[in-house]
Amino acid sequence: MKKTVTLLLGILMLTLACGTALAEPYPLDVIIAEYGPNTREWFLGAADGMGNGKNFVQAFEEANPDVKLNLEVVSWNDLATVVATRIQEQNAPDILNIDTFAQYHADGLLLPASDYISDELMADFFPSFIEQSTVDGVCWAVPDLASARALYYNKAILDEVGVEVPVTWAELEDVCDAIVEFYDGEIYPWGVDMTTDEGQAAFAYYSWTNNGGFVDVEGNWTLNSDANVEAVEFAVGLVNKGYTNPNPATQTRYDLQDMFAAGKLAMLIAPNQLPTIVKNSGNIIDYGLASIPHNEGASTASAGVMDRIMAFRDDAADQVARNAAIAAFCEFFYDPANYVGWVTMEDFLPAVNSAVEAMVAADPGFQAWLDVLAGSQFYPTAKGEWADVKVGVIQVEQNALSGGDVRALLDELQTKIAGA
Amino acid sequence: MNSILVRHKWEPYVWLLPSLLLMVIFVVFPIIVVFSLSLSHISNAGVVGEFIGLKNFAAAVTNPAFPTVMANTGIWVVAVVGLSTLLGFIVAMALNANFFGRKIVRAVVVFPWATALVVQASIWNYIIKYEYGNLNNILLNLGIITNPINWRISYQIEFMWECGVGIFVTIPFVAFTCLAGLQSIDAVNYEAATVDGAGFWKKLRHVTIPLLRPSLTISTVLNIIYVFNSFPIVYTITKGAPAHKTDTMVTFLYMLAYAEQEMGAATALSVIGFLILAVVAGAYMMISMRKEEAR
Repeated sequence: MKKTVTLLLGILMLTLACGTALAEPYPLDVIIAEYGPNTREWFLGAADGMGNGKNFVQAFEEANPDVKLNLEVVSWNDLATVVATRIQEQNAPDILNIDTFAQYHADGLLLPASDYISDELMADFFPSFIEQSTVDGVCWAVPDLASARALYYNKAILDEVGVEVPVTWAELEDVCDAIVEFYDGEIYPWGVDMTTDEGQAAFAYYSWTNNGGFVDVEGNWTLNSDANVEAVEFAVGLVNKGYTNPNPATQTRYDLQDMFAAGKLAMLIAPNQLPTIVKNSGNIIDYGLASIPHNEGASTASAGVMDRIMAFRDDAADQVARNAAIAAFCEFFYDPANYVGWVTMEDFLPAVNSAVEAMVAADPGFQAWLDVLAGSQFYPTAKGEWADVKVGVIQVEQNALSGGDVRALLDELQTKIAGA
Repeated sequence: MNSILVRHKWEPYVWLLPSLLLMVIFVVFPIIVVFSLSLSHISNAGVVGEFIGLKNFAAAVTNPAFPTVMANTGIWVVAVVGLSTLLGFIVAMALNANFFGRKIVRAVVVFPWATALVVQASIWNYIIKYEYGNLNNILLNLGIITNPINWRISYQIEFMWECGVGIFVTIPFVAFTCLAGLQSIDAVNYEAATVDGAGFWKKLRHVTIPLLRPSLTISTVLNIIYVFNSFPIVYTITKGAPAHKTDTMVTFLYMLAYAEQEMGAATALSVIGFLILAVVAGAYMMISMRKEEAR
C-alpha cells in the first residue's frame, strides 16, 4: 500500500513538473534601437504605448502566451557598444534591431532570415530592401523601416533673394552666392554635415549626384573614382567659399535641422522627419521640397537609409522552439495592425507593401516620399568592409576640410579597403 | 604573548582585505583582461579570437592619426596641469588671505570642480557657439563687436578652447589642495622670515613653496592622471574632429573602439596609455619624494 502511494505521488509530482516545464513561456531576448522619444513608450510604455491600451510587449505576450519578451530599448549612441559587449560575453540577443548586419554576418553570428521569416512575409518586403541584406543569395536580416533624403528649402528666403530652387551644382553655387550677398552672412545658404554622426551621407549625396558612388555595378569599391574626387572637392569647396554652416566637422544633422527650423539655414538635404522637427520647434517656416542638385551631365539621386531586424545564432537546446518564438515576434511586429503604428510613430517610411495602403490613406503626402524612396540609392551595407568605408569617407572629408588633398586621401582609402 | 604578536602582525592585513579585494576585482582584473585583449584578434562585431602577438599595437601606432594624437595628449596634459597648477596656486594664495566674504568666494571657486565635466563642457560649447552663443550675444549687446565671431574657426583654436576648459575646471582642485597646505604652514615660519628681513617674494620662495611641496606633489600627480584620462571635454566639444586632429589618447581610443569598431587597436592603445601614465606619474612621485628626503 505504502509503495503504491509513493508511486502515485511520484507520478503526480512528475506530471506537475512536466506541466510546469511545458507551461513555461520561451524567453526571447530582444534589443530595439531607440529612434526617438516615442520608441520606448511604444514598446514598453506604462500604458497605451500602441494607442490600444497596451504597449507592444503586453500586446505580444497576450497574443503569444508561449513567448516571454525580455525587450530592451537602447539609445543609438550606445547600441553598437552594448551589442559588442554582449557578444564578447557570449550573451548576444536573440533579436537585434540595428542599421548594419555585415559585421555580425562576417563572424557567422546570424541566422538566415528564412529560418524565422515566412515566405509570405518575405514576399511582403520591398525587394530592393531585401537585396541590400542578401549575401551570396542568402538574406541575413530584414528591414524594419526606412527614411529617404531630399532637398528642403526655405521659400521665404529664396523669394526674398529672388532666386529659384537650384537644380544643378552650378545653380546651387549661384544661389548660395546670392544668399550670402543678400544677407551679408547672417543666413547660411547650404547645410553640410561631415561629422562622425553621418558624414558618410554627405559623401553619398555628392558622389551619387555626380555619377559616382561607393561601388560600381559589379559591387567593386570605387572610392577614388574621378567622379568621387570631384564630388568631395565640390562639397568642401562649398564650405571654403563660405556657403555653408561654419563648422561642418562638428555640426551634426541635428544642428542643421535646428538651424533650418529657426530660419537660419536656407537649404539642406534632410530626411522625411524634418517637417515634424520644424513643427515641434514652434517656428513657422514656409518650406518646399525638391530633388537633390546634381552636376552637369549627371542626374539627381536620393539617399535611402534603412535599418534592420536580425536574429543571432544560439546554442539553445530546442532550436525549433527558438526559431518559432523569433518567427512569432516578426509576424506580430510586421502585422499591419501593429506595424503601421510603429512606422508612423517616429515619421519613418515602411519596408513592407502591406503597410503602404493604410499609410497613404492616413496621409496622402506619404506617397511623394514613397516615390522618393523607390528611386533611392542605398549604402552598400551588405559588404563586409562597409564599417571601414563609412569611417574612411568621413575621415577623408574631415581631412579635406582642413586642407588635405582629396585625390590622395581617396587613393589611400581605396588602397586600404580594396587593396588597389 | 605570542598570540598577541601574531594578531598584531596580521591585523592590518585583515582591515585592508576588503579594499584589496575591491581593487583586485575592479582594478587589477580589468587591467589583466585588457592586457590579454590587446594581444588578441577582435572582430568588428566584438568577437574575441586568437592570439595575434603585437599586431594590435602595430595597428594602433601606424594609424595615420597616432602622431597627432600623441602630440595633442602631451600639449593637453602639460598645458592643463601646468597652467591650472600655476593659477590654482595663485587662487589658493588669494583664498588664504583674510578678506570679507572669503567663505562665499571659496564656495564659488569650488563650483567648476563640483559640477560634472560633461555639464561644464556642454555649457562652454554653448558659450562659444557661433550662431546663438552667449559670448557673441554678450559682446554684441555691449557693442564691442558688430558681427558674431566664429570662436571655432579652426581645429587648432577648438583645441585651445578645450585646453582652456580643462584648465578652468582643474583650477579649483589645485587651489583647494594648496589651500589646505597653506593653512598647515605654521605662522612662526613667516614671523621668523619677517624678522630676517624677507619680503613677499622671498617668503614665497623660501617658506611657502618648500613647505607646500607635499601638497603640490599630490595635486600634480593626481592631476596628471585625471587630465590624461579626461574624456568628457574633448568628446563633448569636438569629438576629436576633424579627423582626430583634436583627439587626445583617451578620446582617440574611444572613437577607435566604438565609432570605428577597431577594438583591437583601441585595447592596445589603452595599454600604451596605462604604461605611459604609470611611468610618468611614478617618475614624478620618485623625483618629488627624493627632493623631500634630501631636504
